[in-house]
Amino acid sequence: MKSIKAMTNAELAAFIESHLLKRGIDVVLSGGACVSIYSSHKYVSMDLDLVNVRFVKRRDIRSAMKEIGFQEEGRHFRHPDTELFIEFPPGPLAVGKEPVKQVDERKLPTGVLRIISPTDCVKDRLAGYYHWNDLQSLEQASWVAEAIKIDLKEIERWSKVEGKLGEFKRIRTRLVRKEKTGSK
Amino acid sequence: MLVPILGSLSSERVLIFILTRKEGYAREIARFFKTDLGPVQKQLEKLELGGILVSRTAGRTRLYEFNPRYTFLKELKSLLEKALSFYPDEEREGLLMNRRRPRRHGKPL
Repeated sequence: MKSIKAMTNAELAAFIESHLLKRGIDVVLSGGACVSIYSSHKYVSMDLDLVNVRFVKRRDIRSAMKEIGFQEEGRHFRHPDTELFIEFPPGPLAVGKEPVKQVDERKLPTGVLRIISPTDCVKDRLAGYYHWNDLQSLEQASWVAEAIKIDLKEIERWSKVEGKLGEFKRIRTRLVRKEKTGSK
Repeated sequence: MLVPILGSLSSERVLIFILTRKEGYAREIARFFKTDLGPVQKQLEKLELGGILVSRTAGRTRLYEFNPRYTFLKELKSLLEKALSFYPDEEREGLLMNRRRPRRHGKPL
């Protein structure tokens, strides 16, 4: 097993997720770390958002995290061998008004990484853009779309549900152009 | 009104205040309901941690508002609006009828 110091973000997430799952704690990687993974690290995230899918009590998470050397610091958990902050946002696992239906699994040397799909990752970023007009979120969505295949029709459907179809149409080309050059 | 569901009076007060005023800060909410600051601050932090509220700073004040990305926001607002309709007229009007338009600095009352 790799040391925590040598783990990539994805490997560390897989390590933590697999350990927690052994304790009956189901978490899924979401947020900026997914952008980092799917965009081949074009974006650098300094935290891992592990969504607490089944609303496990904080004290159970604290206890399980302590077993692998993580200490609670306010809302986050830290480990002396990594600069990453680990956070456990409360469930449900959702993008906007809808639940996330598909969780991707990737086998890594440190465990199984459970992560939202690239399409949901783009939706997650677009939600930030739609609701707060956050251009950084839009840029991150573009990076993901550039690096990996996404389901643009599904994103259009979801945007409509969010009441943001007009907004989607305005920014669609930023995702379409890059979808065509997608590597997967 | 919603204490059996929300678990605390402070939580209801915070949510109702944000519903009617769109945003608010701890001291303002506590002052409106003539209550202690501590429990209001605690609830604001708890609701932010739960993803229901988000906050930003304006000068030295931390302003809270509903998180537009909260999955159950529409349903939560419906419930709060229903609860608000049962509030005493005076309290409801006090929440709704506050001055929103700007007042030029230095303008006499």
